[in-house]
Amino acid sequence: MKTRAKIIISICMCIIVLLFGIGIGSIYVPPLDILNIIMNKLFNTALSDNISNTFISILWNLRLPRALLAFIVGGALAVSGTVMQSVLKNPLASSYTLGVSSGASVGAGLVIITGFTIPLLGMFTLPLVGLSCGLLTVFLAISFASRMDKNMENNTIILVGMVFSLFINAVLTLMTAMSKEHLEQITFWQMGSFSLKEWSNVFVLLPIVIIGVLILIRYSKELDIMTFGEEQARAIGVDIQKVKWLLLGISAALTGSAISFVGVIGFIDLIAPHVVRKIFGSSHKIVIPMSMLFGGAFMVLADLVARTIISPSELPVGSITALIGAPFFAYVYFKKKG
Amino acid sequence: MLTLNNVSAGYGGVDVLSNISLSVKQGENLCILGPNGCGKTTLIKAIAGLITSKGNIQIDGKSITKMKRHEIASKIAVMSQISTIFFSYTVYETVLLGRYLHMKGNAFKEPSAYDKSCALECLKAVGLYDLRQRQINTLSGGQLQRVYLARTLAQEPSIILLDEPTNHLDLKNQAELIDYLRDWSKVDGHTVIGVLHDINLAIRLADNVLVLKSGKTVAFGKAEEVINSKLLNDVYDMDIVEFMTDSLRRWESFKEEPFQKVKLRKIK
Repeated sequence: MKTRAKIIISICMCIIVLLFGIGIGSIYVPPLDILNIIMNKLFNTALSDNISNTFISILWNLRLPRALLAFIVGGALAVSGTVMQSVLKNPLASSYTLGVSSGASVGAGLVIITGFTIPLLGMFTLPLVGLSCGLLTVFLAISFASRMDKNMENNTIILVGMVFSLFINAVLTLMTAMSKEHLEQITFWQMGSFSLKEWSNVFVLLPIVIIGVLILIRYSKELDIMTFGEEQARAIGVDIQKVKWLLLGISAALTGSAISFVGVIGFIDLIAPHVVRKIFGSSHKIVIPMSMLFGGAFMVLADLVARTIISPSELPVGSITALIGAPFFAYVYFKKKG
Repeated sequence: MLTLNNVSAGYGGVDVLSNISLSVKQGENLCILGPNGCGKTTLIKAIAGLITSKGNIQIDGKSITKMKRHEIASKIAVMSQISTIFFSYTVYETVLLGRYLHMKGNAFKEPSAYDKSCALECLKAVGLYDLRQRQINTLSGGQLQRVYLARTLAQEPSIILLDEPTNHLDLKNQAELIDYLRDWSKVDGHTVIGVLHDINLAIRLADNVLVLKSGKTVAFGKAEEVINSKLLNDVYDMDIVEFMTDSLRRWESFKEEPFQKVKLRKIK
């Protein structure tokens, strides 16, 4: 099948998944009604008589922002994972390797324990502090790696990232142990959830993700070359030091922004790039946008399972992605070994 | 023209090479000979600017320390040894990556007609045109080596550096590769600088040879003037001429094609 046909099919499947994600729940909203409500809200078109105000309210205020946020977060994590794997030339790498999730968790933990809010930011205090701490951890890890190894070899970056990650996780464990009354809240934040997310989250995250993904697509040729190894990339003319900093930084920012809104959600950044490469080949010009679509759709489905399987209660979405992701991780690892 | 003046280089503050000086004119080829660990690969990396070095390396009168990465890559291409492939591309996609410098900044655009035709011509030159849609992780070591050669050629450099390029090739492909590079170097004043373990192939390719031992120059000059049995014995610590003579004697014992014909055939 030609690449173009595969892309069209993927886009159609994403739309279908989104319609499922929006329509299924305690109250089922049929796909045509969903489109009808969206068209009414966006373009003021006429509503069908059988659509009640409850339908509109559930769909527009709860389900649609939730599904869209899940799609954006899943896409951002998947793209970030794709880039990390290629830059670090390691099929098992992700933004989490560099400590972004540990840093963000410590930031979130601080906000939860102290309860402070930054004036004017209100509910966005936690995402902002989480993102800042996540990025600061990655920045420190990469700076330290570049000091230890001027050439910034991948193994150095991965090892330093792991050391920073473990250290900061230990800090989080200490913080949690000393503030047991917040244990549940911090633990749940770390499992990730799209519960009670509003349009404001979508409006803040969407532009960040679009800009980040576009910049990464701009560097798709460099990414292609870097998968052959840094020495070859430099010999072909890629300014490795500069490009590596930039790509690692943007990937970490994408992951950091995504998880700071919804908590740590693992494995999508690992799964999506591998599945997409199997279907579309390795060219990043295709792999990055397709990872965005696949990661987004996967997250919408995972969230659908998380909120419906034991309805009216909800499971943390991170546990659903991990349940599918862990066996996949093992598959990739042992296949490489074999 | 490439000039090295008192170049020393190494890893982790320890010099592997010391005080190497040489010059290679346009249209000339240089082979670097020497035993394992003598610094051949380090020299290739230093010339390509892939590791930092002391002394002065100049391309066309300009020091490489004053050149940006893309400037060096526009003049020097390095044909690498085969390494693990993590993410597979088609043969054509891989060769097209050699056009990176010429396509820079065009990530959202299709490669130009010239970039595409250049990549295809390079594939034809190495005999892989028919395999252009194959994934590189399905190729043999020899085919992959030729893909990398095509990518190196697609870079359109004036100097190609080779680090043991014949490692994965059978005898026929070794000879074809070396002959192709020799012919390529004679067009438009190109230069090939190669690390080769096989002295026969080195003589076939080189105008000049640089012989290294323990990171120091033992000899540098025209192949026919520099290479002799005493030098090779000293450098490799074995009697190379005796080894080659013994090989020829074994050929003789096979009693196939008259051995004398082999001896009397003129070198092209």
